[in-house]
Amino acid sequence: MAFKHFEAIEKHAGLLGVLIAIFVSIGGLAEITPLFMQAHAVKAPPGVHPYDPLRLAGRDIYVREGCYLCHSQMIRALRFETERYGHYSTAVESVYDRPFQWGSKRTGPDLARVGGKYSDPWHRLHLMNPRQVVPQSNMPGYPWLAGKKLDAAQIQASMRTLRRLGDPYTDADIAGAPAAVDGKTEMDALIAYLQGLGIKNEPTPAAAAASAAGAP
Amino acid sequence: MSAGWSWWVMSLIVLNLGVTLFLFLWGPRAKIPTLPDGTSGHVWAHGTLREGVRKLPRWWLLMSAGMFVAGFTYLALYPGFGNRKGTLGWTSQGELAHDAAANDAKLDALTRRFDMYTVEQLAGDPEAQQLGQRLFEDNCAACHGRAGKGNQLVGAPDLTDHDWLYGGDGKAITASIRGGRHGVMPPWASLGEDNVKNLAQYVLSLSGSPHDTARAAAAKPLFATCAACHGADGKGNQAIGAPNLTDRIWLHGGSVADIERTIGGGRQGQMPAWSPRLTDDQIHVLAAWVYHLSHEHDVAAQ
Repeated sequence: MAFKHFEAIEKHAGLLGVLIAIFVSIGGLAEITPLFMQAHAVKAPPGVHPYDPLRLAGRDIYVREGCYLCHSQMIRALRFETERYGHYSTAVESVYDRPFQWGSKRTGPDLARVGGKYSDPWHRLHLMNPRQVVPQSNMPGYPWLAGKKLDAAQIQASMRTLRRLGDPYTDADIAGAPAAVDGKTEMDALIAYLQGLGIKNEPTPAAAAASAAGAP
Repeated sequence: MSAGWSWWVMSLIVLNLGVTLFLFLWGPRAKIPTLPDGTSGHVWAHGTLREGVRKLPRWWLLMSAGMFVAGFTYLALYPGFGNRKGTLGWTSQGELAHDAAANDAKLDALTRRFDMYTVEQLAGDPEAQQLGQRLFEDNCAACHGRAGKGNQLVGAPDLTDHDWLYGGDGKAITASIRGGRHGVMPPWASLGEDNVKNLAQYVLSLSGSPHDTARAAAAKPLFATCAACHGADGKGNQAIGAPNLTDRIWLHGGSVADIERTIGGGRQGQMPAWSPRLTDDQIHVLAAWVYHLSHEHDVAAQ
C-alpha cells in the first residue's frame, strides 16, 4: 500500500463514504448481531409460563399506559439493586414478554419482582391516586382503569397472535379466556399482572448459572 | 455464544484493530510526495486553500498509542475477544457475589451481636435502629407510612401507639413480619341497614365516643354476634387480630360513615409475608425498629 491508494480514497467522496460506513458498523456487527440472533434461541425454563389471559390483558394495559416510561423490569447484577429488589433478572425470565420491559431509566422503582410485595387493596388505592398511600409520590393516578371492563375478544386475538409467534397457548387456553376475564376491569387485570411479576419465575441457581455461562 | 459467533466477533476485532493499528504505525512513516512549496498539491477553493505536509503532532501520537494499549490490555484481561474469558476471569455475577460477600463480612460482627439480643433489647440499639429504619422505609413505609403512623385507607395500623392487633411483644411482631397477616371481618349488611346503623352507634359507645344512646341500646343484643371475635366487652382478640373497639383507635376510620361501612361491607386487611423477601436477620432488626417506634416515647420519658 502506498500513499497513492489513500489519495484515491481521499479524492473520491463516494468511496470514502462507503469505507467509513463499513468501519463504523463493525462495532454494531460485533456487539449486536450475535446477541440478536441468540435471543431467538432462548427457551423458557420449567417454571416460566406464558401469561394467563387476565395477566396478559394487564400487561397490555401496562404497556398502553406507558408504565415502562418510569418503571423498568430489569434488576441488574449490582449489589445495591439485588439488595433492594431481589435476585438479578435473567434473559429466560422475559421470554414471554413482547415487547420486553427491560431498561435502566427509572423514575419509579424497578418492578421486576414487585409481585406480592404489596396487597391487592394497596395496589388499587395506589393506582387510583398514589398519594393515598405514598404521600411523597409523583406518580400519576390511573382512576379510569377501574371503570373499564376488559374486552375478551381482544385478549383472545392477542393470545392467537402470540401463539403464532411461538408462545405455547393451547386452544383450550384461548377458549377459556372470556371466562377468565369475565366481569374484570382493566384495574383488576393490571393488579393481577403486577402481583404476578417475579413470582414463581425467580431463577433457580442452576438456571442463573446457565444464563451466566451463556452471556458474552 | 456459539463457536461460530465467537469467530465472527474475533474476526471483526482483528479486522478493526488490524487496520487501525496498521494505519497508526504506517501513517507517520508514509512517503508523501511534497511540492517545493511544502504542500501536497491538494487544493480547494480554486487554490486559496492548500494542504500542507506536516508531521503528526506528538500529543496525537501518544494519545492514540495509549488507546491501543488500553484496548489490547482490556481484551487480555476481560471477556470481549469472542468467547475468551480474559485472564481476570471477570463476570458481572462474580463481581456481585464478591460485593455481597464483602458486605456480609462487614455486617457479620453486627449480625452476630444482634442475634444475642431479643427484639425488645435490640430496640434500644442505635446501630440496629439505623438498619431497621432503612429496611422499614424501603419495605413497610408504602402502607404504614415513613413514620409508622399507618394508613386507614388501606387498613394499615399505626405502629407508634400501644394498640396491637396481633400482640406487641418482640415475638408477635416478628411473626407478623415473617408470615404476614390476613385480617378478615365478614360483612353484616344482611342484618339490615337499620341494625348496621344501630351497631355503629353501639361500637362508638364502647369507646365513650359521642353516639346516639337510643340506637346504641337497641343494638346491644346484636353485639353478641360481634362478641365472638371482638369479645363481649369489645376489647378485641389478639389471637385472631380482632381490633379493640374500646380505645378510640380506628383501623379503617372512626367516623360514623366509616364504621357503618366497616360493619355493612366487612373488611379485609392484608399484610404480605416478608419471609421470602427479607432474611431472618433483616426481620429481626426490622422487628426491633417497629418495637422501637411504639416505645420511643417511653424511653424518652425514662
